Amino acid sequence: MKVLIVEDETKTGDYLRQGLREAGYTADLARNGVDGLHLAMTGDHDLLILDVMLPGLDGWQILDALRRAHKDVPVLFLTARDAVEDRVKGLELGADDYLVKPFAFSELLARVRTVLRRGRSGAEPTTLRLADLELDLLRRRATRGGKRIDLTAKEFALLELLLRRHGEVLPRSLIASQVWDMNFDSDTNVIEVAMRRLRSKIDDPFDTRLVHTVRGMGYVLEAPDAA
Amino acid sequence: MSRPASIATRLTLLFALVSSVVLLALGGLVVSALERHFRQQDIDLLEGKILLIRALVGQAGSDAALPALAGPLHDAFVGHHDLTVRVARADGHLIFANAPLTVPEAAHQPIEWRSGGHHFRALSTTIASDTPARAPVEVTVAIDINHHTAFIDRFSATLGVFILAAALVSALLGGWAVRRGLAPLRLMKARAAAVTATRLDERLPVDAVPPELAELASELNRMLARLEDAFRRLSDFSSDLAHELRTPISNLITETQVALLHTRDAAAYRDTLASNAEEFERLGRMISDMLFLAKADHGLILPSREAIRLEDEVTDMFDFYDALAEAGHIALHARGGAQLHGDRLMLRRALSNLLSNALRHTPPGGRVDVRIEHAAAGVTLTVSNTGATIDPARLPHLFERFYRADTARSHSEHEGAGLGLAITRAIVAAHQGHIDVESAAGVTRFRLHFPAPAGG
Repeated sequence: MKVLIVEDETKTGDYLRQGLREAGYTADLARNGVDGLHLAMTGDHDLLILDVMLPGLDGWQILDALRRAHKDVPVLFLTARDAVEDRVKGLELGADDYLVKPFAFSELLARVRTVLRRGRSGAEPTTLRLADLELDLLRRRATRGGKRIDLTAKEFALLELLLRRHGEVLPRSLIASQVWDMNFDSDTNVIEVAMRRLRSKIDDPFDTRLVHTVRGMGYVLEAPDAA
Repeated sequence: MSRPASIATRLTLLFALVSSVVLLALGGLVVSALERHFRQQDIDLLEGKILLIRALVGQAGSDAALPALAGPLHDAFVGHHDLTVRVARADGHLIFANAPLTVPEAAHQPIEWRSGGHHFRALSTTIASDTPARAPVEVTVAIDINHHTAFIDRFSATLGVFILAAALVSALLGGWAVRRGLAPLRLMKARAAAVTATRLDERLPVDAVPPELAELASELNRMLARLEDAFRRLSDFSSDLAHELRTPISNLITETQVALLHTRDAAAYRDTLASNAEEFERLGRMISDMLFLAKADHGLILPSREAIRLEDEVTDMFDFYDALAEAGHIALHARGGAQLHGDRLMLRRALSNLLSNALRHTPPGGRVDVRIEHAAAGVTLTVSNTGATIDPARLPHLFERFYRADTARSHSEHEGAGLGLAITRAIVAAHQGHIDVESAAGVTRFRLHFPAPAGG
């Protein structure tokens, strides 16, 4: 997967490139709008991460030029301005997502994966599996090692999210938004308690742990051999 | 658009104009009264002369006696240079005339005319005869009224000069009076000039100015009070922000530099970085909360409005906080329901902040109650929790930014930056609502009231 980052802030650009490379992506970096547009037009990137405020051409102009040239590569905007009009403008121009600085890198990574997964359609699986953990989406049933686990509706939704995106570190804010529809900064304590309760059901009675806390980042569901 | 003339100039001009008009009208009245008086005087005189002539003519018993009247008539009018008399028979035969007299054709009596640089006024009459022996006699008496008209002309000219002078004087006096009258305005101006960013507490003198200006002054004072309040909030905002950022940033610097002092193993570095990341996330959240409040302060929040069933949102929130409540052995209860027009995301955020706050301050075994009431006056949502009663002196401060009921500022991991209730209040205000809090007998109660939309 090739990602192009267009970001004029030196440190932000460097860290984004490093972070994305270490997450397994091929990342290119342009430090101004003109180079960014040139690279975007000539390269074959799967995703563009565009800063809105750029010297030369701003992020919107780049997106506009790309869409005029019928390049429909997905675009994720980064901005320090959090105005509703900006958001609407970006989405109207055909941006796929929008992140306001400061953002957590884990949040960016999660959004990048969401955007890249989009459009890659396939038959929706009816059962999710990781190691000996199994989630039957049709019958709303969870089992581990063949043993039935009783989950509340929200616990089921939480486990489903972790399973669908296993191996990815999910920030608390993303979990709150996806499972409880809390699309604003909310009490992250709640997520911790909820994760603890989920763990007490799917991890504690068993020898190997699947749910891991990544301090300062979030949670990840991972099979022990994959770690 | 051109700038209007100063009030002093306008009032002065108006003053001069009004006094000129009044004096001119008065002058006109005097002149016309004078003219009427002279005219009456002339007519009285002319009528007297005609009476005299009538008596003389009456003595003549026949036409033959008429020419003999010339003598007595001459005697009667000798020395009266301003009088012209003509006595003639009705058939035109002249009996007596002391000067050539041509009376213009006129239908009405008395008549006036101008001839050879002189003004005349005349009366004519026909003296009928009581005997057929004498024909009727026509008499015309005219008087030269030049001295009257000349007097009126002189009088008018003098009056004009006086009026002009009086208008000038009243303009000057008016200007002076206006300047004196506007003195309170200059006082207000001087006070207003003293108002600066550092001295916003300066107020205009309401008691020292006339009633007309007092209203303006107190309205301006109210504006100043609003500005002072907004300005104070803005400067508090900046200093709060700087203050609140200082502690975590200082922690981050210390922690990072201590970690760099010695070579450590990877786990120690990871620990430091993770702790930093948590602190950074908290800073990030605080900044976005501050931005939200700053926008709310400027009234920039424009919630998208939709019909929201409050009880559904409460159920959703309970779903979210359920695990936390259960872990703290706190019971959650909800009662009632109502529909409200508002922004769903914002109302959820307000509700979430209130519940999070309530749960944080409820001891194990306590309960949190949400009650929704719908009345004609509007919708009321109450969130109450059991727990320590809050000192009444602190209640009004709960909605202030960065205010923490526990002054010890124990930065527990999950305690917010002290912005939650301020944000809740801003959201409620954006919905034209009102929030208050009471705390008594071990129950703290936050009450959100949303008035029913006017006319709906």
